[in-house]
Amino acid sequence: MTRQLPSPLLPARGGRSSIPAKAGVGLRFRHHREVLDTRPAAAWFEVHTENYMGGGTTPAALDAIRLDYPLSLHGTGLSLGSAEGLDRAHLARVRAAVGRFEPGLVSEHLSFSVGGGTYLADLLPLPMTEGALDVVCRNVAEVQDFLKRPILVENPSSYLQFRHSTISEWEFLALVAQRTGCGILCDVNNIYVSSRNHGWQASTYLAALPPAAIGEIHLAGHTVRRLRDGRILRIDDHGSRVAPEVWALYAEALARFGPVPTLIEWDTEVPPMAVLVEEAAHAAAMIGESKSGNGHALAA
Amino acid sequence: MRASLVVHDDRRISAHVVPGAFTAAERLDVYRNTFASALTTALRLSYPAVHRLVGAEFFGGAARIYIEAHPPTGACLDEYGEAFPEFLSGFEPSASLAYLPDVAALERAVNGALHAPDVDPLDPHRLATLAEHDRARVCFAPHPSVSLVHTDHPADLIWHAVLEKDGTALAAIDPNDGPAWLLVHRLATGVEVRRLSEAAWKFTSALCAGRPLAAALDETHDFDASALLADHLATGRFVDFGLSETSA
Repeated sequence: MTRQLPSPLLPARGGRSSIPAKAGVGLRFRHHREVLDTRPAAAWFEVHTENYMGGGTTPAALDAIRLDYPLSLHGTGLSLGSAEGLDRAHLARVRAAVGRFEPGLVSEHLSFSVGGGTYLADLLPLPMTEGALDVVCRNVAEVQDFLKRPILVENPSSYLQFRHSTISEWEFLALVAQRTGCGILCDVNNIYVSSRNHGWQASTYLAALPPAAIGEIHLAGHTVRRLRDGRILRIDDHGSRVAPEVWALYAEALARFGPVPTLIEWDTEVPPMAVLVEEAAHAAAMIGESKSGNGHALAA
Repeated sequence: MRASLVVHDDRRISAHVVPGAFTAAERLDVYRNTFASALTTALRLSYPAVHRLVGAEFFGGAARIYIEAHPPTGACLDEYGEAFPEFLSGFEPSASLAYLPDVAALERAVNGALHAPDVDPLDPHRLATLAEHDRARVCFAPHPSVSLVHTDHPADLIWHAVLEKDGTALAAIDPNDGPAWLLVHRLATGVEVRRLSEAAWKFTSALCAGRPLAAALDETHDFDASALLADHLATGRFVDFGLSETSA
C-alpha cells in the first residue's frame, strides 16, 4: 500500500525538519542532557509546545537537539473545541515557537481545555454535535490560517460521553479532516482506552478514519483501574509500556494506514531513555513488517 | 465542566452525562484528578524549596486550596502560581513558618528568571554616544529575567540550604536574621541570586523601574554607584536605554 499524503500535509521545508515514517520518542526535560551527549537511536522527537514558549536554557537545548533530529511540536493548550473562540495571545505564542523550532509537524487535540477564562489543564471531551463540529472546524481553520500550515488533530482518551451527542467520535474526527484539510494524529492507545471505557469497537474507529489524512500515530501506556466492586476503568496516564492489546491495535492501524511516523509517549514517572528507545524499536520493527507485505494482505 | 473541575460542583453537568457502568461523578473524578495533579506538579516545580520545607502532604493540601481559589488563566504552566507567595502569607496552617512566604517570593522570582524571554543585552558601547549633560537623564529597560526581592527573613540562605539538602547550613541559619535585599538574574550559567546592600538594592530597583539615573542616585547615599552600574551593564542586566524628559 502506497501512502498518498495530500500535498498540504508535507512540511513547508523539506530535508532535516520533515518527520520520517519511523519511530520517534516524546522528549521530556530529564532527557535533554542525555540526548545532547549520547545521541540515542530515536528517529525523531516530539515535545509539548507549551513547555518551550519562554526563554533560557530549556528552549536553547531544543535548538541544539533539533539540529540532529527531526522535531514535532505537540500542543495541549489551544482548546480547539472552545465555542468562545481561540485565545489569540496563546496562538501567537504557538506561532513564535513554530517559527523558532521549524518543526516537521504541528499537532493539537480534539478537545477543549479553557472554560470561563480558566485553563482546565486537561483534554476535556466535547459533545459530539453539529454545533461542536462547526466550532472545531472554525478553530482549526483559524489556526491553520494563522500558522500558514496544516496541523494534525489528535483523538483524546475519554471517560465520559454526553447525552446530546449525535455523531460518533470517529465520524467527527474524519469530518474535521475533510472540512478543514487538517491531518489526523491517530492515538492508538486513546482509541483502545476510550473504546474499552465506552463499549466502542476499536476496529470500527480505525476503519472510519481516512488513511490519506493520517499524519502520525501515538502509542503510550495506560492503567487499568479496578474498583472494589469489580468494575474497570482504563486511565490514559502515559506511565508504563505500551499494552499488548494496544500493540495489536497498532498492527491493525499500520495495515490500514501504511507506514506512519509513530511516537512513544511517556509522561508519568518518565523512565530512562533506553526504555523509550526500546519501545520505539518495537514500533519501528512493526513499521518495517508493514512495509514488507503483511500490511498489503490485511489492508486488502 | 469548569465548576466540576475547579470547585467540585457537578450539579449542572451531571444531567448531560451518559451514566453506564459509572456515575457522572466517578467519570468526572478522572478529570478532576488530572486537573489537580497537573497543577500541583506545576506548583511543586516552581516552588521546590517550599515543597521540601513543608513536605509533600502539607504542600498537596495547600496546593488544592490555592488551585480552587486561583485556577490558571493560561496554558503555560511554567507561569502558574504567581499568587502563591501571597496565598501562603495568609495561610493559617503554616503561620508558624514566618519565613515561608519569603522563600516562596524568592522562588517566584527564580522561576520567572528561568523562563523569561531571551532578549539581547544592551551593548554598553552604545552609552558612549551620550553627551555628558544627558547622563543624568538616562534610564534603562531591565532584562526580563531581572527582579528585585526584599524579604524580612534570610530567604536566600534558607532557599539555598534546602535545595542543596545541606542540613548543617540550614540548622545554622537564624530565620530572624533579616532582612535580605536580593537581586535575581538569569546568566548563561543559570539563575543567580545575589545579596545587595540596602543602598545598592534601592538604587538598582529605581533603575529597573525606569527612573532616570540622577533620580536613582538620589535614593541612596554613601555608596559607589558607578561600580555597581558598570557591573549591571557588564552582566547584561539592561537591554535598552532612553532619555527621560527630566532627571527627576
